[in-house]
Amino acid sequence: MAELLQHLLNGLVLGGTYALLGIGLTLIFGLMNVVNFAHGEFYALGAYVSFAALALAGSDFFVALLVAIVAGAALGWLCEVALLRPLRNESIDTTMLVMIGVGIAMQNAELLGWGGVAKSIPHPFPTAPLVLGPVAIAPLRLFVLVLAAGLIAAAWLLIQKTKLGRAMRATFQDRDTAALMGVSIGRIHAATFAFGSGLAAAAGALLGPIFLVYPSMGDLASLKAFSVVILGGLGNLPGATLGGLLLGIAEELGAGYISSGYRDAIGFVIIILVLLFRPSGLFARQERIA
Amino acid sequence: MLRLENVHAGYGPITALRGLDVSVAAGELVCLIGANGAGKSSTLRAVSGLLPPSRGRIVFDGREIQAETPATILRAGIAHCPEGRRVFPYLTVEENLAMGAYVRTDRSAVAADLAEVERHFPILAERRRQMAGTLSGGEQQMLAIARALMARPRLILFDEPSLGLAPTVVEMTFAIIADIRRRGTTVLMVEQNAYAALRMADRAYVMETGRIVLEGRAGDLLEDDHVRRAYLGG
Repeated sequence: MAELLQHLLNGLVLGGTYALLGIGLTLIFGLMNVVNFAHGEFYALGAYVSFAALALAGSDFFVALLVAIVAGAALGWLCEVALLRPLRNESIDTTMLVMIGVGIAMQNAELLGWGGVAKSIPHPFPTAPLVLGPVAIAPLRLFVLVLAAGLIAAAWLLIQKTKLGRAMRATFQDRDTAALMGVSIGRIHAATFAFGSGLAAAAGALLGPIFLVYPSMGDLASLKAFSVVILGGLGNLPGATLGGLLLGIAEELGAGYISSGYRDAIGFVIIILVLLFRPSGLFARQERIA
Repeated sequence: MLRLENVHAGYGPITALRGLDVSVAAGELVCLIGANGAGKSSTLRAVSGLLPPSRGRIVFDGREIQAETPATILRAGIAHCPEGRRVFPYLTVEENLAMGAYVRTDRSAVAADLAEVERHFPILAERRRQMAGTLSGGEQQMLAIARALMARPRLILFDEPSLGLAPTVVEMTFAIIADIRRRGTTVLMVEQNAYAALRMADRAYVMETGRIVLEGRAGDLLEDDHVRRAYLGG
């Protein structure tokens, strides 16, 4: 029982960051109809920016996280304005290929800039685990879990409670009518892409100190993000949140009870099952983009 | 107030409007009638900026708006209540109304207008927190109209307001539109139900294949042989 609880807790930590990744991707996918294969690269970008801020500039952990989010959002915004905006009316395949190109460019820029050697991000937390009854958790992991939860809540508030979020949802539901209400569709797309990319960068900055940072880390992150979106349903924000937690927990349980070598395989087995039996996602397909 | 001069527009290779001249004076209720595909909806879309004309001018209050964005045109005072109501189904009634006032920054006036709209359409106040997609067709039509009013327009474009509604709801919708006009808002309306439209309008235009083929006082058109044969079923 204690072992199960421990796995669940570890799964939550992992799942919280998967949820951040998934929310960003599902927003971009759902609102803009862009299959963003570069999404994982924004995750890697967040990890590298946080590494640079912490290891090289010696900044505070919070500041590093903030800088990573801003960097991810800024690059996402640039991507939308420079590359996706001119292709607004092109087919989904065209933008997908462009984003694959962006992903390759970003990954190789990281290889060029940082070299291929994996780096570890220093963090200020004590390494001795906190023992909470039957389970133990490293302070860093607890911190990651809390921040991920906070960011998910902030994302939810932005979508549900702000004027921008309302306009995003309206645009997703009916683009022409949203335009008739005076919503600038271009601005909504740029904001959405920046927002989604910022969340991916946040996930990278949060998980970076737990795992290692290396140029190809974005590949797996992209796959995980797509898994979460498939689990949760396209454009479904609570779905992405739950899907992320579910994927994280399933991976931890698989790694714990079957074999840690199968960790990544577990997620993909779930995806295949979901696609076979519930192709529109695990959760009721009521409201999308919310 | 509104003048379209030689407006051409289309969707890719398809031409929808071929040299359209339409004018609407302040305070008028003008309607466009014509068969399906004649270009009535495209005319409204051109005015509201969703379908920018390839040629011609659209002048609103002395200002050329044919190259402006929908947001600018809305701010200038033209709201468009689209065909099929098009409420945002997964936004609440309240959020739909807020979307209507999206371009406005005068918060207290928006709040006052919201109260006014809810007094006028009590059913919307009752369903404030309900998703718009769960409303009946008639309620959705009221929401669509109320949403357009939330922009405080001086000119409202109505596209097929009676489409797909039950006869009693159609009557109510027309009564609401007549009332909006009575309160001083100018109306340009596209309507399949030519008889009802001509009875409430001051003037009307008859469209065929992207052009105006006939125009005149609505009462005269009701008596016109061509109009009677083609659009009034007798």
